[in-house]
Amino acid sequence: MKSYSNAGTVSTDAELNRLEETVVRFCRCVRANGLGSGRTTIDCLQAIRIVQDAGVAAIEDALRSVLCSSKDEWDLFAKLFALIWEGPAPTGPSPKKSGKNRFSTHGLGPEKNALKLFSDTERLHSDSDSGKAISGASVIERLTKTDLAMISHGDLAELERLSQRLLRRMSYRLWRRRRLSDRVGIVDFRRTIRRNLVHGGELIELRYKKQRRQRAKLVLLLDVSDSMNPYSLFLLRFAYALKRCAREVSAFVFSTTLLDISAVLNAKSWPNVLELLSEMTTGWRGGTRIGGSLRSFNEQSGARLLSRNTAVIILSDGWDTDAPGALAGELMKIKSKSRQLIWLNPLLGVPGYEPVTRGMSAALPYIDVFAPAHNLESLLQLERHLKVA
Amino acid sequence: MALPNSNSGAGHIPSIDALIDRSRALGYVMDRSLGTAIYLLVRLGKPLLIEGHAGVGKTEAAKVLASILGTELIRLQCYEGLDVNSAVYEWNYQKQLLAIKIQEGSDRKIQDLEAHIFGPDFLLRRPLLKSISCEETSPVLLVDEIDRADEAFEAFLLEVLGEFQISIPELGTIKAKKAPYVVLTSNGARDLSDALKRRCLYHWIDYPSFEKEMDIVQARLPGIGTELGTQVVRFLHSLRKMSLSKIPGVAETLDLSTALALLEKTDLDQETANQMIGCVIKSADDLVKVREEGFDKLLASR
Repeated sequence: MKSYSNAGTVSTDAELNRLEETVVRFCRCVRANGLGSGRTTIDCLQAIRIVQDAGVAAIEDALRSVLCSSKDEWDLFAKLFALIWEGPAPTGPSPKKSGKNRFSTHGLGPEKNALKLFSDTERLHSDSDSGKAISGASVIERLTKTDLAMISHGDLAELERLSQRLLRRMSYRLWRRRRLSDRVGIVDFRRTIRRNLVHGGELIELRYKKQRRQRAKLVLLLDVSDSMNPYSLFLLRFAYALKRCAREVSAFVFSTTLLDISAVLNAKSWPNVLELLSEMTTGWRGGTRIGGSLRSFNEQSGARLLSRNTAVIILSDGWDTDAPGALAGELMKIKSKSRQLIWLNPLLGVPGYEPVTRGMSAALPYIDVFAPAHNLESLLQLERHLKVA
Repeated sequence: MALPNSNSGAGHIPSIDALIDRSRALGYVMDRSLGTAIYLLVRLGKPLLIEGHAGVGKTEAAKVLASILGTELIRLQCYEGLDVNSAVYEWNYQKQLLAIKIQEGSDRKIQDLEAHIFGPDFLLRRPLLKSISCEETSPVLLVDEIDRADEAFEAFLLEVLGEFQISIPELGTIKAKKAPYVVLTSNGARDLSDALKRRCLYHWIDYPSFEKEMDIVQARLPGIGTELGTQVVRFLHSLRKMSLSKIPGVAETLDLSTALALLEKTDLDQETANQMIGCVIKSADDLVKVREEGFDKLLASR
């Protein structure tokens, strides 16, 4: 506020009161913009009282320390603070009134903010006006019907049921295997010593503790350019089934850009997944930029998702419009940071196919498992390769 | 929650400016916003979460705070699989076994023996327990790279930071007489839980501006000439503009400056830069990229 920056410090009680009032209002506005969830206004006031003598810059720093909790919020805060505290100078004599005016006119509404967050998807949606009218059910149809061993329409329901059953069974097998392999333990000294005090401290009975094994994270990168769509959906179903075995499943779709659809996998049932997906899928089309998409993945989510406990599955036919060098470089980064890199290529099911596309041959050296994924059977074969447990 | 040292805290550090001045005297350049955050940490007794890229001086901030307060720095380095045994406490098993052997002939009751060998004498204090069992002054507890520890440990840490007490089944609950000042650092390798973030003050350290980095070099290595310092910092700034897989931080700037000073160089020319590139670039791929870009360009650009 102007008056404080002029004075530099806050001296009188009246000014302190006014400052506190402004802080309270600022907190409210900031919270409306999605910042500082869980921080109380009391926290802010406490902080302000401590630094009030150090001038308006210190007040900004203090509020930022209390209200932010990530880099994104940190950056957003600077904007909000500038907007609200250093906005147009108060015109009216009463700071209360002028303050109020400014907040109502300049505070970014939560709706606007939300829209900003989803600007990417919005753009994707507007890319294809023709796709807008497609209803959830017909998207499911479009996504599942095509290819996947050329299933006729009548067999589709049967295939759905079958895949559900088989995938559930596979998921249980993987899960059970992990439980059984946990048997080996290491000696638990604390319990052993305690237990053997009854023998006068002679160590006769050993006590073991189980080694808690960390379950793996699973990351899926699905190519959803036109030809790949049906396979992608099945792999997504496969990932959904694996949720029981993996610690965390994240999924991304890409064609020319990358889109994070992990939230979709949190849906309670498979139909819900499809419903959510149909809201997002209308923009999936066009050419494929595998290298560029993987780079976006590495830059945005690589550090967060990749670790020695992560298995990465890429589903793509390898037709890439980016330079092959780009793809190889990004694959190397993924490979070096994860436990396992699996590439599924539906074309491998086609007799006589050789992976000689530029993209594919550049990718091969970094891939642990290169397997087909053109029908349900080949997907179920994945069980043998996947090291989730 | 009781504030640590609520009486003497202000006595230690009278104001934000004093904090910044003292830290500079110790060779750590703190900008105003970091100074404010640390001042609030001391006065409010809340943990401070510092995030930022590798090598921008997150850990150093905690070290310098400990020196300024004149207290002990207790450091807990987190890693994947860090468990309670290595973070909180462990019993000294060898000593326990010895004690049992020594008592073998005596008629001591088993209950007494148990109480004896699971007593404080046999307890190995790991960083977290150590940090809450200080008697005299509040120590600085540095939880380094919290994002590397797994979620389970994070939840446990949350409990400790909330109450500053730890329960040991054999001994009972130990409550801190002097609550530690807590600094957590993170590289953002994983998102931290909302609950932990909510409990902490937050500060983001970015790569420094040209002026601030010059300031840091001067504060750390007063002997280095302004001209050489400028060359080094400018070189690092143009490296940071490239898309490298490991972007060099301030630590690398200081490494390179120290190395140049050791070799008594007065000028960072292309040949020297080529020789010393190992101080700042630490992956083969990046090295290739840097060489392709050319040292003449990197050294000249501003």
